[in-house]
Amino acid sequence: MSSHTDNDPLEELKKTSTGVENKKLAMWAFLASDCMFFGTLISTHLIYRKVYPDVEDVIDIFDIELTGFSTFILLMSSFLMALSVSAAHKNNLPSMRWCLGGTIFFGLIFLGCQVYEFQHFVFDKDLTLSSSIFGSTFFVLTGTHGVHVALGIFWLGSWLIYSFTDRYKRENALDVEVAGLYWHFVDVVWIIIFTVVYLVEYIEF
Amino acid sequence: MSSHHSPDSAAAHSEPTGLWHRPLKKTGWVGFLTTVDHKKIGIAYALGALFFLLVGGVEALIIRLQLMVPENELISARLYNQLFTMHGTTMIFLAVMPLSAAFFNYIMPLQIGARDVAFPRMNALGLWCFLLGGILINMSWFFDQGAPAIGWFAYAPLTDRQFSPDIGTDFWIMGLQILGIASLVGAFNFITTILNMRAPGLSMMRLPVFTWMTLITSFLIILAFPAITIALVELMFDRHFGTYFFNVDGGGKPILWQHLFWIFGHPEVYILILPAMGIISEVIPVFSRKTLFGYPLIIFSGAVIGFLGFAVWSHHMFTTGLGIVATTAFAFLTMLIAIPTGVKIFNWIGTMWGGRLRFTTPMLYAVGFIWMFMMGGFTGIMHSSPPVDAQQQDTYFVVAHFHYVLIGGSIFALLCGIHYWFPKVSGRIMDETWGKINFYTVFVGFNIAFFPMHILGMTGMPRRTHTYKEEMGWAEPNFWATIGALMLGFGILSCIIQMIYSYYKGAKSPNDPWGGRTLEWATASPPKEYNFAYTPVIHARDQVWEDRHGTPEKRMDKIAPDPEHGIHMPDQSWWPLITSFGIFFACLGIVFFRYEFTFFGSLSYTNGIGLLVVGLVVTLVGIVKWALEGPGGYHLYPDAEDMEEIRQSQSKN
Amino acid sequence: MSKRILPIWAGLMFLVMLISIPQCTFSGDGRWFNIEGQQSALDPKGPIAQNQADIFYLILWVTLFLFITVGGALALAMWRFRERKGDDPNYIPPQSHGHPLIEVGLVVASAALLVVIAIPTFGGIILKKQVPVHLEADAIEVNVTGYQWWWGFEYTEHGFYTANEIVFPAGRAVKLNLHANDVIHSFWLPKLAGKVDLIPGQVNTMWIKADEPGYFWGQCAEFCGDSHAYMLFRAIALPEDEWNEWLERQQRETIVGNGDYAPVKEDIEDRELVLKGAELYAQHCARCHSVDSRLQTMGPNLAHFGSRTSIASGWMENEPEELHRWLKEPHKVKPGNFMWYGFPDPSDPSRVQMEGLKDADLSDSEVDALVAYLYTLQ
Ligand code: HEA
Ligand code: HEA
Ligand code: HEC
Ligand code: CUA
Ligand SMILES: [Cu+2]
Repeated sequence: MSSHTDNDPLEELKKTSTGVENKKLAMWAFLASDCMFFGTLISTHLIYRKVYPDVEDVIDIFDIELTGFSTFILLMSSFLMALSVSAAHKNNLPSMRWCLGGTIFFGLIFLGCQVYEFQHFVFDKDLTLSSSIFGSTFFVLTGTHGVHVALGIFWLGSWLIYSFTDRYKRENALDVEVAGLYWHFVDVVWIIIFTVVYLVEYIEF
Repeated sequence: MSSHHSPDSAAAHSEPTGLWHRPLKKTGWVGFLTTVDHKKIGIAYALGALFFLLVGGVEALIIRLQLMVPENELISARLYNQLFTMHGTTMIFLAVMPLSAAFFNYIMPLQIGARDVAFPRMNALGLWCFLLGGILINMSWFFDQGAPAIGWFAYAPLTDRQFSPDIGTDFWIMGLQILGIASLVGAFNFITTILNMRAPGLSMMRLPVFTWMTLITSFLIILAFPAITIALVELMFDRHFGTYFFNVDGGGKPILWQHLFWIFGHPEVYILILPAMGIISEVIPVFSRKTLFGYPLIIFSGAVIGFLGFAVWSHHMFTTGLGIVATTAFAFLTMLIAIPTGVKIFNWIGTMWGGRLRFTTPMLYAVGFIWMFMMGGFTGIMHSSPPVDAQQQDTYFVVAHFHYVLIGGSIFALLCGIHYWFPKVSGRIMDETWGKINFYTVFVGFNIAFFPMHILGMTGMPRRTHTYKEEMGWAEPNFWATIGALMLGFGILSCIIQMIYSYYKGAKSPNDPWGGRTLEWATASPPKEYNFAYTPVIHARDQVWEDRHGTPEKRMDKIAPDPEHGIHMPDQSWWPLITSFGIFFACLGIVFFRYEFTFFGSLSYTNGIGLLVVGLVVTLVGIVKWALEGPGGYHLYPDAEDMEEIRQSQSKN
Repeated sequence: MSKRILPIWAGLMFLVMLISIPQCTFSGDGRWFNIEGQQSALDPKGPIAQNQADIFYLILWVTLFLFITVGGALALAMWRFRERKGDDPNYIPPQSHGHPLIEVGLVVASAALLVVIAIPTFGGIILKKQVPVHLEADAIEVNVTGYQWWWGFEYTEHGFYTANEIVFPAGRAVKLNLHANDVIHSFWLPKLAGKVDLIPGQVNTMWIKADEPGYFWGQCAEFCGDSHAYMLFRAIALPEDEWNEWLERQQRETIVGNGDYAPVKEDIEDRELVLKGAELYAQHCARCHSVDSRLQTMGPNLAHFGSRTSIASGWMENEPEELHRWLKEPHKVKPGNFMWYGFPDPSDPSRVQMEGLKDADLSDSEVDALVAYLYTLQ
């Protein structure tokens, strides 16, 4: 064993049977589980949409331009996330910080749009958790996603701050990558939500 | 054993990273509360689970006493309803699951030759969440109207605020959420550990069956628990924020709850039985002195059971008016599960066939398991036929079915595992004569208690009824069921007493008292902190058996640790405990959200939100500190005896 | 203690239990239990229950066969290969790893047995769902509503309500539409048909038929709160002529004037008492009950109550002392009962929307008057 072990206790844990790092594997397992979380929520929403197609005038409530914009922003944040991971692996810290900062910034814009959307729905459109079953499923689903985004921002923000300390090491690229996996996943989930919750409402049958 | 901190890691310890210095003490309260050792955590899981087994058992015995004679007035209807709700919840989530988790924790890393699980601190978090979740659910007894009275599957809309305004239901909801966290973090951990931390040469198809079943169970957990977590969130929103997920007045569909619950619930019953089958698959070869018959098929059928488990949930809903197509599909899929399950049974018998059977206590439980599980499985097949199930659903026939698979199955196998691995864990062996006496008391008591329930069910006794009329003709079987339950309770209690006694006073056991086959028997009993002094290099499926009886080229190789740096072990930590308390208080805050209530008749408290915020802050601080602290680590040096063993094995090759 | 006795003893106990299955099943009078018990699914009296019992027995035989063969193999292995006294403790049996042919054979055999079960199962599913064509023509239809903790029956074709006792003609199919007023209940008449749930917000259907006239017991089979165990009901299958008579009686007017209580005949005994009862009824009871069979009310419809055989949804027989006990303290009979506590306000369960008898404070003599009055409702 090299003396490296002493400085980085993770080293020993990194030699894994599958070759995939522990943290990454655990994150994949978590994402599999998270798929089921969102799967359940999305199913709930879709089932009630099907049972009560007319409970709210959904198209009138939605502001598809705004949501489309925020979706685009979130997509772009994923792009920046990929760049930060790549920079982290090259240990190009300044580039990683810029990209992480950008990801967080875009994430914040997305969250801001969602907060605006929620208050707009509640105060201008009278859609609340208890105004109708649509309100219940819509807010709980998109709210859960929002919480995921917020946690992601917090997580990425932690790495951004951490990267300015001298405790940040080359090996932490793995951690940034794992956080990135999470971020991409949350993004993909939003694409699905945007499609099945928003876009399909505009399909004329 | 010389435990020694190398200079640079000691330096790492003095870094001001935590509120406190990193805990180093291995013994006493600090050692216990901050431990990350999978073996200590395993034992703590077991003790907690056995405690809750007694709690759930006492609840069951009160249920049985109430039903002993018709129109009994021992307890009130409401108390009875609370008792079966809490009994079912306790037994499933607080007794059997954590007892399985205890074995996952203790045995699995030993079986794969690992020093610990992949994320030791996360493992500790799982333990604390389990204990605090159990406490949270049971706290309900002390508030207002007491524990929830909704049944363990809590069908909507009975759980709506309108029909169950009591706080007990909220305790139940949030308690299950914490337990869900415990199960999930445990499962992520085990999956990573099994896939990633196997000893060199230990390919997947050489893994012990118990480890395989741990892996499959963990996958079931991560895929099944989200359904109930979300269902509980939706229910919580219904109760606190007036949403309409299951509220009929706002258009909610109660049937949705049933789907979500059973999408979780059916895989859940396989979460309860697959570890049991893993244990049985370890024990039978050892006491038959034969290798497991059809190893690949046993693994494969375990996976098929897990997979099919997600496709049959609606067999709990045959009476809810599903369409003909759905009913038929779910019925046939359910029947299919008999095949992989049968394969396991055939292979166990095949293992015994031609062997040399030693009927020690573990073997008795193992064989008892096969008998009883078969009976439970057959009644399951009866349920899988919707016309028959229409008569049996929600009767004592179902109660008989699931106690045959849960007690005759899971509990028997867990008792089997306790007797089998006890020498490994404690270095002492449990008394054989007492073991046999206990086994027969449990076996006979169990049958007297639950066999009559088949008859009760077919003659029309509904479950979840606290009383019945004399003229129904159910008095006699009920009477015997109660007698049997007392006998069973006595047997289990005696088992536990026997365990405690043996721990302190039992005969000393050699490292491998049974002639074991798998890796855990290659190390000391109890294992040293580092499990194995060497890195085992595996060359065969039943490695320890091959070491004893096999050809030389199949013997295990032992790689000695680096003499300079020794064995690297993870550090202890306070943060899992603190984080779990944060989660606990946050959940408690949500429970109290809407209520003014009386506690022991007087005190009243309504500031749920405050508690929620405090809890969330503590959780967040816990997680951040946890991350900043890092896994840490220190170095251990195997003692002279271990080094000698390694040297010898190397000179032999 | 001899270690040999233990397994033998355990084995014997177990055997006795196994033997008791066929013994119980075949002896109609039942030594160990009563196979003709009030709610025995093994004593079918209608085509659906018959079909369900038949499939049950089929699966029972299939699994008993499996239990004997697989269990026999297990028992044989346990016996033949056990370690005996004096055996070489170090003996190592030949190690076999598995045998594909055996495995495949057993899988195929299991699958074949499952097919045997599956085919009649499919038949049973269809039978339960759809009334056969030849019974469709003269079927009657009843709406069933489950309440915490009683049953309402509405005869749609004739437009009247009754409660807790469902009456229908023997030999004819009865189509049931199942509704629930509050939580989930389950309609179960074991001797006529397996259960179907009553779920709020959805309407399930089922059908039953009694081959012969008879008196049957049923029970709610889904946990529905405090008094779930007391949510029974009775079903009465009448010969055609009695059925017509019953129908005719149910539709007879019971109302006088614009007060909601039944006419009190001139020639009745205890006329004073009955009149007092009628008054008390109007004062305390009419807000939840009705004696007009055409009205649906929050409590059970009491028209023709005197001719019913049971009270408190089948938990008690309809006798004066029992009725007295019920009216005096219904919550002691059925805990949580709304008749005593009143109906809670759905939006705030801590408030009462409709007052119960808790505050009426009826004296024994008042209750006697009510009892006398209720029995005049024939
Ligand atoms: C350990 C837990 C466990 C296990 C393993 C099982 C196993 C099975 N269960 Fe069970 N079940 C429960 C726990 C479990 N169950 C619980 C807790 C409930 C009630 C929940 C509640 O309502 O509270 C329940 C309820 C339940 C129902 C719903 C009943 C109702 O409410 O109406 C059904 C219906 O199909 C069912 C079916 C089955 C089947 C087909 C199997 C199969 O996996 C069994 C397969 C095994 C065998 C068949 C025996 C061995 C096989 C052979 C020897 C091969 C040859 C066999 C044949 C060809 C038949 N179970
Ligand atoms: C693994 C799960 C498990 C286990 C082990 C058990 C164990 C037992 N259960 Fe189980 N039971 C369930 C899971 C389980 N149960 C579930 C899921 C339900 C459905 C709940 C619902 O409907 O919602 C249920 C429902 C249920 C009912 C039906 C209630 C009803 O529908 O009305 C009954 C009735 O007899 C019963 C009886 C028993 C008995 C006698 C035991 C015995 O095995 C208990 C043995 C006794 C002990 C283990 C106690 C030993 C202790 C002592 C002797 C005293 C010691 C005292 C001190 C230390 C202070 N259970
Ligand atoms: C607040 C509503 C309410 C009031 C007031 C009320 N009842 Fe009831 N009654 C009910 C309900 C609800 C039930 C069904 C209870 C159950 O079985 O759980 C019932 C059941 C009954 C039954 C049994 C019916 C059967 O078929 O089993 C009788 C008889 C009865 N009530 C008579 C009376 C009389 C007489 C009074 C007045 C003194 C009265 N009730 C006042 C609500 C009420
Ligand atoms: Cu209605 Cu149980
Ligand atoms: Cu199931």
